[in-house]
Parts: sequence; C-alpha cells; structure tokens
Amino acid sequence: MIAAFRAAADVYGQYWRINLLTALEYRANFVMWMFFTVIYHATSLIALYVVLERFPSMNGWDFRDMFFLYALWMLAHATNNTFFSTVGDIPDHVRDGEFDRFLVRPLDTLFQAIAIPGHITPDELILAIGTFVAATIYAHVHVDALFVVMVPLIVIGGACIDLGINLAITTASFWFTRVDALRWTVMQLEQEFTRYPIGIYGKGVRLALAFVFPFAFMNYFPATFFLRKTENALHLPPAIGLLTPLVGITFVAASYAFWRFGLNRYKGVGH
Amino acid sequence: MMTLRERVNVPAYFQFAKKAIARESTYKFEVFTAIGSVLVRVYLFKTVWTAVYAQNAAPTSLPLHAAITYSTIALLMGLILDIDQTRLLHDKLHDGSIASDFMKPISVPGYLFSDGTGEVLFHALLIVPALVLSLFFVHVDVPPPLVLGAFALSFVLGYFVGFFLNFLLNCIAFWTLEIHALQMIVTWVTDLLGGQIVPLIFFPLALQGVIYALPFAAMFSTPLLIYVGEIPPSRYLEVMGLQVLWIAILATAATFVWRAGAKRVVVQGG
Amino acid sequence: MPIIETRGLRKVFRSVKREPGIGGALRTLFSRAFEESVAVDRVDMAVDAGEIVGYIGPNGAGKSTTIKMLTGILVPTAGEIAVAGLVPHENRFQNARNIGVVFGQRSQLYWDLPLRDSFELLRAIYSVPRDRFARNLRHFSEILDLDRFMDTPVRQLSLGERMRGDFAAALLHDPKIVYLDEPTIGLDVVAKDAVRTFIAEVNRELGTTVILTTHDLADVERLCRRIVLIDEGRIIYDGPVERLRSEYGTHRTLVITLAAAEADIAFDHAEVTQHEGNVVHLRFDRRTITAEALVRRVMERYAITDLAIIEPEIETIVRRIYLEGYDTQAGGTPA
Repeated sequence: MIAAFRAAADVYGQYWRINLLTALEYRANFVMWMFFTVIYHATSLIALYVVLERFPSMNGWDFRDMFFLYALWMLAHATNNTFFSTVGDIPDHVRDGEFDRFLVRPLDTLFQAIAIPGHITPDELILAIGTFVAATIYAHVHVDALFVVMVPLIVIGGACIDLGINLAITTASFWFTRVDALRWTVMQLEQEFTRYPIGIYGKGVRLALAFVFPFAFMNYFPATFFLRKTENALHLPPAIGLLTPLVGITFVAASYAFWRFGLNRYKGVGH
Repeated sequence: MMTLRERVNVPAYFQFAKKAIARESTYKFEVFTAIGSVLVRVYLFKTVWTAVYAQNAAPTSLPLHAAITYSTIALLMGLILDIDQTRLLHDKLHDGSIASDFMKPISVPGYLFSDGTGEVLFHALLIVPALVLSLFFVHVDVPPPLVLGAFALSFVLGYFVGFFLNFLLNCIAFWTLEIHALQMIVTWVTDLLGGQIVPLIFFPLALQGVIYALPFAAMFSTPLLIYVGEIPPSRYLEVMGLQVLWIAILATAATFVWRAGAKRVVVQGG
Repeated sequence: MPIIETRGLRKVFRSVKREPGIGGALRTLFSRAFEESVAVDRVDMAVDAGEIVGYIGPNGAGKSTTIKMLTGILVPTAGEIAVAGLVPHENRFQNARNIGVVFGQRSQLYWDLPLRDSFELLRAIYSVPRDRFARNLRHFSEILDLDRFMDTPVRQLSLGERMRGDFAAALLHDPKIVYLDEPTIGLDVVAKDAVRTFIAEVNRELGTTVILTTHDLADVERLCRRIVLIDEGRIIYDGPVERLRSEYGTHRTLVITLAAAEADIAFDHAEVTQHEGNVVHLRFDRRTITAEALVRRVMERYAITDLAIIEPEIETIVRRIYLEGYDTQAGGTPA
C-alpha cells in the first residue's frame, strides 16, 4: 500500500517536472494564456461592477459581497483547473488513440490521464489566491480560526465539484465523441450562474444548483456563512456552507462510478 | 494571373459554402449545446435583470422589458457573431495546406469567405429554434418595421466588422502559429466591450468614451441599441456611417496584412 | 507452452450509420441507426516465447482490433485469450508489465523534451528499479546509438532517431512481449534497416517475443520466420514465410544476360516482361515449366553470359491473396 502510494507519487512528480519543463519551452504562449486568464476573470468582475454600480443591491448583496462570492468560486475553480483540468483532454486522447497508451501501462487510467502533462502552470491558482485575499479584505470578512481551517477544505471540496462535472462530461465522450462544446458551455454557465446569489433564480434552478449540479456549494453557501447573511434562497441553516467538502467528495465519487461504467463500455464490455 | 472568370467562379464558391454547411451540421452535439446554452442564458439574463430592476430604482432610459429584449437579441446575435468565420485560414496555416490552395485557380480570401458564409448560414438557421424556444421564457419586444429594417442592416454591418476583425487575427497565424489565446482574449473583450453582456449605456461615462473609440461596439451594441430604440432614427446615418468606417479601416488593414502574409507563403513555400 | 494463445477470439462493433450529403447530415441530427460489424472472427493463434510473428492484413482487416484485445485495451465479444498466462483485460496492470507497445505513428516521447526526461517518467510508471533502469538504458544506448541525441529535444530528432527512442522507451521495463505497430512507417532506407537490426537483436539477445504488424512486407521477410495473414477478421494463413512463398509464389522470373543483342525473343510457357539491351526477364509458372527446363531451352537457342532466378516477393504474393482470396487447397490458385 505504502509502496504503491510512493510509486504513484514518483510518477506524479515526474509528470509535473515534464509539465513545467514543457511550459518553459513555450514562454510566449504561456504569457498569452496567462493574459487570457486575467481577461477571463476581469471581464466577469467588470460586468458585475458595472451592473452593481447602476443597481447597488441584488437580493441584499452589494458589489463587495459579490466580489467575495466570485473570488471563492474562482479559487475552487482555479484549483480544479490546475490539478484536474487534464480530465478535459481525455476525449482528445480517445480520438487520436493516445488513450490506448494509458491502457497498456500498469497504472490507473484516470490517474494517468489526470497526471499527464498538459501545458499547465499554476498562474491561475496564484491569481485566484491573490484575488481571494483581496476580496476577503474588501468585503470585511471576519477571519478567525474556523475561516482559516475551513476555507482550504471548502476550496478542495469545490474543486471536487468541478472535477465531478468535468469527469462526467468527459465520460460522455465515450458515447458522443465530440463533447468540447458541451464542456465549454457548462463551464461558461457555471461561471455565470455562480456569479449571483442563487436567491434570484426560480425555485427549480435554486434546487438544481444546490442538489443536482451542486455549484452553490462551491461559493454561495460558504459565502453566505462567512458573510453572515441569512440564507434566504432555500432557507437552510447557514452552517450548510461548511458541508462543501462532504458534498464535493460525494459528487466526485458518483462521477467516478459513471467513469468506470463508461470506461468499461470503451473496452467493449458494454453493448 | 487569374482570369476574371476564375475570380468570379460563383459555382465553386457556392460549393465551398455548401460543404461548410454540411460539415457544421455533422457536429450535432455542438448544435444542441449551442441552442441549449442560448436558452439557459436567456433565462439567466431575464432573472438577473428582473432581480436588479425590482430591488433598485430603475433607469429611465431602458425599462425592464427593453433590457430583457436587449439581452435576448444579443444572445441570438452571438450565435452568429461569436463564431470565427475565418478559422479555416488558421487551420490551413497550421497544417500547411494553405500552400496547395494558392495553387488552385481560386481567390483564397474568396474561398475563406465562402466557407465562413456557409458556416454562418448554418448558424443563422439555429436562430429560429433558439428564438422560438426563448419565447417560452421571455417576452421580446418587436419594434416597428422601419426600426427592424435598420436593425437588420446594422446587424449585417456588424457582421462584417466581426469578419474582418477575425480575418486580421487569423492572418497573424502567418507569422506565429499560436494565436488561440489571443483569439480568446479578443472574444472575451468583444463580448464585454461590444455590449453583449451589459448594455454599454450602463457603463460609467468615463469608460464609455474609451469603448466607443474601439471597433467592438460596432458589432453588438449599435444594432442592439437601434433595436430597443435607444438610438433614434435621426442618428441612424451617424451610427451606421461609423460602422462602415470601421469596416473600411479593418478591411484595408486586412488587405495589407493578407498580402504580406501570402507573400510569405509563396516565397517560403508554406 | 505458447506465450500467447487465443481460441475462438471474436469482436463485434456497433456503430452509428452516417448518411451522405446535407440532407443526410441533417437527418442524422435527429436519428441514430446502428450497424454491426465483425472486426475479428474466430481467431485461433498460438505464439511461442521468442518468436517473431508478422501479423499482416489490409486496412480494416482486424489487425489492430486483435492487438488491442491482446494488450487488454479491448474486451473480446467471445473467445479466450491468455498472454503469459494472464487474461489481458482481466489483469490489465499485470499484463501491462509483461508487454511493450510501439505505435509507429504515435510516439510516447515528450515532443518538447529530451529523451532522458521521457525515459525517467517511464521508469516511474513501470517502477523499474534504478540500477536495472541504468543498466537497460546503457544497453539500449549501445545498440541504438542513443547517446548522440539523448539530450536533444525530441521534436528536433529525425524520424529514425525518434523511432529508436520509442523502441528504447517500450523496452525499458524488460517486457516479455512487444507489439510493434508499423514500426518502420515513414522511415528512410537506412533508418528502416537500423530498426530491423535492432528488433532482431532484441529478440535474439533478450528472447523477447515480437508481434509485428506492418504494411511493409520487407519487414516481415527480413525479420519473421512465421507470418499470420488476416482478412475480413479471419486468419487466412498461418505458417512459415517460406511455405507461403513456395505454395503461392508460383511465378518466378528468369533473368538472362545474352552474349550478343537479340530481337524477338519468345519461348513457350514464359513471358518476356522486360528486355533492355542484353538483359531479358522471363516470367514463368513453375508448375507448367521447371526452371531447369526453361534454362535448358534458353541455352539451346542463345549464348548467355549470366543468369539468375528471382523468387517472388512476399509483397506480391500477399497482394495477390488479398485481391483473389486465399484458396485453402494448398497450392491451388496461382498467385
């Protein structure tokens, strides 16, 4: 068990080494993508700022609150992007045959697909940490021991929710070979729907965001708790925001079961 | 040199467009997600506008129903304006097949334009179901015929602004092949500064000055503000004149960049 | 005991039917019709340890489907497989340690980095002990002459160099069996030769079993004693290369060099396929006339300074079999 863990850590370390070495080979491109990351988040925040300057309150949330809401989502999302976004490349690997290579190696397929170098750099994560710190100060969030302990766990839980969605979409590629459009759409919608307090949506959407695609656990519920607001979307106790790690693990486990099912089909066990 | 007959070989270009339509329609998953995405975002914008209008003092110029109409039309326009009609150029530069196109008796920009038009026509077809389904969520204002006509014209002009902007961007691939990040940056900036997400009239005045000095507003904002009546008929000539000016500037720039790029391919053999 | 054994191996695929044209494309937006195809049908094969087997067939014949089942990537629809005593798809990890795979068209090396980095990663993936890793690397560097480009980014290597790197990568963990898929595709003559020499050497020195799929039958002639032909999912020939040649290569060519130029050369039972200067090619069917008889007749009529008999190339024979079908009656149809 320990030996297996050490072997996996060895592989993971090698993958990241290759990852960073490769990124360094393409400095210009790396800088452009870094710039895009900034633009991606900046345009959202600017749009939010413009709207809330015109209309100062949304369900009792002002721009400061919503900046914190966004920053919390951004941190979880960046964590997913940095460590798990390669899951999204699996359909490409399936298409070009590279996926078969994972299957002829003595390691878990998903582990290899996640660990494989994919020009990933920690720039978004660094940006997200900076943004989160700024938002915490700007929104006057009370920082105590609970905050310090729970935020990392909530961020990991939130990243697991992202990973779960991503993995489910990737698994769909075993049936429909082209899922890039769906992935982009879901990522876009996720970013847009998590931007606002979910109380503004209709009942069905609120329930869906809490319990079907639990994006509300990435930022809305925890932010409600840390900003000490009353949870008036589903009238749940504010402490529900601390359940994010649990929700994340459960969600990713369900998604993993789906992945196993899809993988078996790929190997021709199904049909 | 190409003969005039070759240059205006309409049936050939018609075939390129037809092929593009067939190609696009095979991506059925993309088709459904594109329509689905528009519908969900129509709902989202309606909800957001409804929430902020209900809880704050509404701006006088753009009432709630106009704001919802604006966002819905903007999303439908995005089905066309957000596609990169000249992606083929970038792809061809990437795999080197551009060189063989220069050997064929066709105008290469004409080929790219036909292909892009085919793609656009297919996506234009998607507007119909997307609009019909949107009407289940939102009420869309329909302006009088004169305004509708002006909107249509301005939309076409906006399309050409977008076309030349994309063409210019894809031409950069003649020099450096990695332009994907740059294209994404421009798309995001276009959506924000073009007024697709938030009407430009809501922006702080200081920012508006900068925004109107850029070509993005000529893509989304001008036709949209015509549609919701924010731009009155008396200003049509002025705003559409500005769109034409942007087309002229971008088309001129595109011509120069294309020539320089094409020379590189011909001289260096791709 | 064979190291690879299959019995009644079968794989059926189901795929979405596509229709041509815009109308068809629009129709498939809303409907899905399926069709089934049998990729591999009742394949029985036994390969002994240390063999080099050429697994040959036209595109879509079922070659890669078979290989995928042998490597554990695909689960068979029916039939049994044992590779080194394991059922590959049930013991994928253990099987993976026993095998090495080289896909000629897809490198497993990292494009932007030197070979060394890719090897280091593979060491970790297969948990090869460091001392064994160093020893293998030294050994392969020697045979494949890797040292010259060990520290050059892979994208700057020639195709031949890259392929040598890929071979080393596939063999670093001492697999018992290697599957080579088109290992010489796109290589120039010199590089092809180097790769073939290497395969032969690895097979001889390490006793590695080699399953080779290729379209270049010169690979097979050079490396394999045994050839397995597959067409439309079924094995149509399995046996020594020589037998295939003798049974199906019924036509030979006698090349003669005449002492003096002659015009209008003609013989019964032989066809002049080439006539340039004093050199004449005569193609004959060895079942209607023996080589000896033909040579005698030639020498009765002309003074010759040289003669040679060209055996048919496996390539020609195999192409014939694909085109005309394989007659199970040995030596039946002329090939």
